[in-house]
Amino acid sequence: MNNITVHCTVNHKPVTVETAPNKRLLDVLREDLHLTSVKEGCSEGECGACTVIFNGEPVTSCCVLAGQAEGADIVTLEGISPDGTPDAVQRAFMESGAVQCGFCTPGMILTAEALLAKNADPTEEEVKLAMSGNLCRCTGYTKIIEAVLLAAKMRREEARA
Amino acid sequence: MKRRGTGVGCMFYGVGNTGLPNPAAAFVQVLPDTSVHVTVGAADIGQGSSTMAASIAAETLGLAYENIQVTWADTQVAPEGGATSASRQTFITGNAVRNACETAMGELKRTAAEELNVPEEDLIFRNREIYSSKDANVRMSYPELMGAMGKKGRLAVGAGYYNPKTTYLDPKDMSGIPYELYSYATTILEVEVDTDTGEVTLLSVVSAHDVGTPIGNKLVEGQIEGGTAMGTGFVVTEKIDVDPKTLAIKNPSLSKYIISTCMDVPKIYPIVVSSEGEAGPFGAKGVGEPALIPSIPATIAAINDAIGSNFTTTPVFPADIVKAWQEGQGKKS
Amino acid sequence: MKDYAVLAKDHVKVDALEKVLGTTKFAADYQMPGMLYGGVFRSTVPHAIVKKLNLEKARALPGVACVLDHTAIPGKNRFGIIFKDEPCLVDDKVRRYGDAIAVVAAETPDLVQDALELIEAEYEELEAISTFERAMEEDSPKVHGDTNINVKKHLEFGNVDEAWAKCDVIVENTYSTHILSHMFIEPDAGLAYVDEQGVMNVIVSTQNAHYDRNEVAAMLGVPQNRVRVKQATTGGGFGGKLDISVQLHCALMAHYTKRPVKMVRSRTESTLVSSKRHPITMKCKTGATKDGKLVAVDCVMTCDAGAYSSYAPAVIGRAPVHIVGPYECPNVRCDAVFVYTNNPMCGAFRGFGVPQAAVCHEGQMNALARALHMNPLEIRRINAQKVGSVIPTGQKLTESVGFLDTLAQAQAKAAEVMPEALARLDKE
Repeated sequence: MNNITVHCTVNHKPVTVETAPNKRLLDVLREDLHLTSVKEGCSEGECGACTVIFNGEPVTSCCVLAGQAEGADIVTLEGISPDGTPDAVQRAFMESGAVQCGFCTPGMILTAEALLAKNADPTEEEVKLAMSGNLCRCTGYTKIIEAVLLAAKMRREEARA
Repeated sequence: MKRRGTGVGCMFYGVGNTGLPNPAAAFVQVLPDTSVHVTVGAADIGQGSSTMAASIAAETLGLAYENIQVTWADTQVAPEGGATSASRQTFITGNAVRNACETAMGELKRTAAEELNVPEEDLIFRNREIYSSKDANVRMSYPELMGAMGKKGRLAVGAGYYNPKTTYLDPKDMSGIPYELYSYATTILEVEVDTDTGEVTLLSVVSAHDVGTPIGNKLVEGQIEGGTAMGTGFVVTEKIDVDPKTLAIKNPSLSKYIISTCMDVPKIYPIVVSSEGEAGPFGAKGVGEPALIPSIPATIAAINDAIGSNFTTTPVFPADIVKAWQEGQGKKS
Repeated sequence: MKDYAVLAKDHVKVDALEKVLGTTKFAADYQMPGMLYGGVFRSTVPHAIVKKLNLEKARALPGVACVLDHTAIPGKNRFGIIFKDEPCLVDDKVRRYGDAIAVVAAETPDLVQDALELIEAEYEELEAISTFERAMEEDSPKVHGDTNINVKKHLEFGNVDEAWAKCDVIVENTYSTHILSHMFIEPDAGLAYVDEQGVMNVIVSTQNAHYDRNEVAAMLGVPQNRVRVKQATTGGGFGGKLDISVQLHCALMAHYTKRPVKMVRSRTESTLVSSKRHPITMKCKTGATKDGKLVAVDCVMTCDAGAYSSYAPAVIGRAPVHIVGPYECPNVRCDAVFVYTNNPMCGAFRGFGVPQAAVCHEGQMNALARALHMNPLEIRRINAQKVGSVIPTGQKLTESVGFLDTLAQAQAKAAEVMPEALARLDKE
């Protein structure tokens, strides 16, 4: 199989990658671009650990082929706070105790970011629905849901200030 | 028809290995600027054993949580930690950290006693200050103490370990002391069962856990909430299927082995209960496994209560529920 | 509770910042110059002698650095947390589906898969034991040695046989629990390399770095201080990362190739071969007075522990001690037998047999409550352990027994947040 060239935006920068057409976006991000915050947990789109924000939507990158990324705008956790200063969602996860083993955390945070970008004041049910594609085996989700609601509140307060 | 039921589940859990030695160790050094290195063997798998080690070190040394840097589970630099299992690290590595800190405090106490002219046993180390229990105005800051340590050429270093006070169990009847201490819990939960589909919805869960002294409230709550989700899943969604011929696992995937999502988890009310004891560090006990256990029998009991069944076998899947309900109705009519 | 300066408060976890920033490295995230990828050729039958193993085609594939079977192991080819009964690579026979027979290291993950497909094994199949009952029969083939009994325990406290006469009510039930998987969210992964001092380094997702170190040293036949195991940030475990996963295979291939070797299990491989929860059957007879005070408990516990011991000797030690639950009972007997079969290996899983025991003791408490028309909380309260209680091993509890407080506080909270549910316990 001949390699293809994919042009896309990753973490707000234009990127050109030469890759096998059957390579998964997950592998392109992890192997070619060294964006290892994107985790592989199940390889079948069930666990959400490999979630990235793809044209504004949370998408499991294990189910996307490299070619499908042509022209796409992709954000990984590395793109949320490139200078190492946690944003509201990240701070809320820390303060709420929403992080245990941390393997699901990148996907959880990106799903939350995508939700809050569209809905600044979600209800608990809306948060649960949005987060239901991301599995966590440690926390029982309670503190993750609390963190997303807290982040929304922090964002709204930041916007007012 | 939708029917509701309530279940109770209780448990006790011996912390550490059963009737066997299972020591763990720690190294500590307070640096000249009052920051601290703590090195433990304990593997942190996300539950927070390193956070626990930092908390215990700060409490023991009288420094701030933020002053502590923890290095863990690197065999070339860390002493034996034993397994992160049996809910043992808070109890055993926690005591090891406390013992290592106490050793490091030998020189700290000697120096503070000389500087403040107070007997060592009257000194209190707390919140980055050292003061006399007899007169709180006789005090010095931690940086002052480390300055005095430096002038005298003294180092605040310590190694410590802890092995629970247990005995081997008699092979004849298992008599003996299997564990030095035990954690306790009570869970009360409510379910709604759809008798037509067999679907079980968890409505709310109250789970109270005696952890002795909580190292951190949210750490304990996080264990309880995660354990509850796993415990209810144990009963109603999770099962490994083994092929009867090849004896291979038929469902080794997250699409075929169903764990709880955030939509499945009910409102959980974790209750952190404290109790008095000397065995654990500042009275702390383990909660990792206790967090899981009581929600399992409570879920079974709640289903039985809802539909008048008598399940004694797990899992309890929708088809089992529909069958039990229909058989129960058949008996009544 | 005392007034603590640091404890019983909420501090941000020491590892939280890097985890929310995504900079934390898990084992699969490590890369090293010259690094190879490793994979395992596994049995597709549960019980068999490997008659022929052809590794030559795989070895001949360009880009393959090594293909090794058990003959390559310099030290011991048996490991295990308590009993050393599991091979690093199969030598005498296959004991379960998925047993590791050979390992491959190659330049890319795709090449590893290609090489694994070129390995050919021919088996002489043996009868596979899949049930406790068959394992216990005299004429059954033996999974290990000359008996399929892995461990037996007998707990005896008070006088159970005489106690039944003092009981006003006796309930008998059989409980059984099933096999479960930890499904830790991070599949097992690790990396091994030899450093400039000649020390074998293993970076791995694990729950016990020191145990791993000892096993790697034994397998390589080197002193323990010539192996460094460093726990990578670990994505959950729940007991499932206490056993050896990729540690020995990575180290063996790094030892041979003198290059770093990384192994990352897929979800499928991880779930197929990591340990599982012991399915336990508990036949239990429990007697009480008409006031609901426990008088005697007699339980027979049987378990198919699968192909290797793992933590079975710990589970069978813990479950009988906890068989009565957090209650006082003056007469207790528990006989437990765990056997080897060719089923998936069971091991440590959050609770070590106590969740299974709790299904039994709580089921029995509820059965007694029903028989005596008592509230299930009340029957627990009147039997509750407290300071001074004696547990079935004869140990007297001297401190920190907060069970009654958990009952009271759970009940009080339930009265507040789920009053109807709580009231339902009072019926009858």
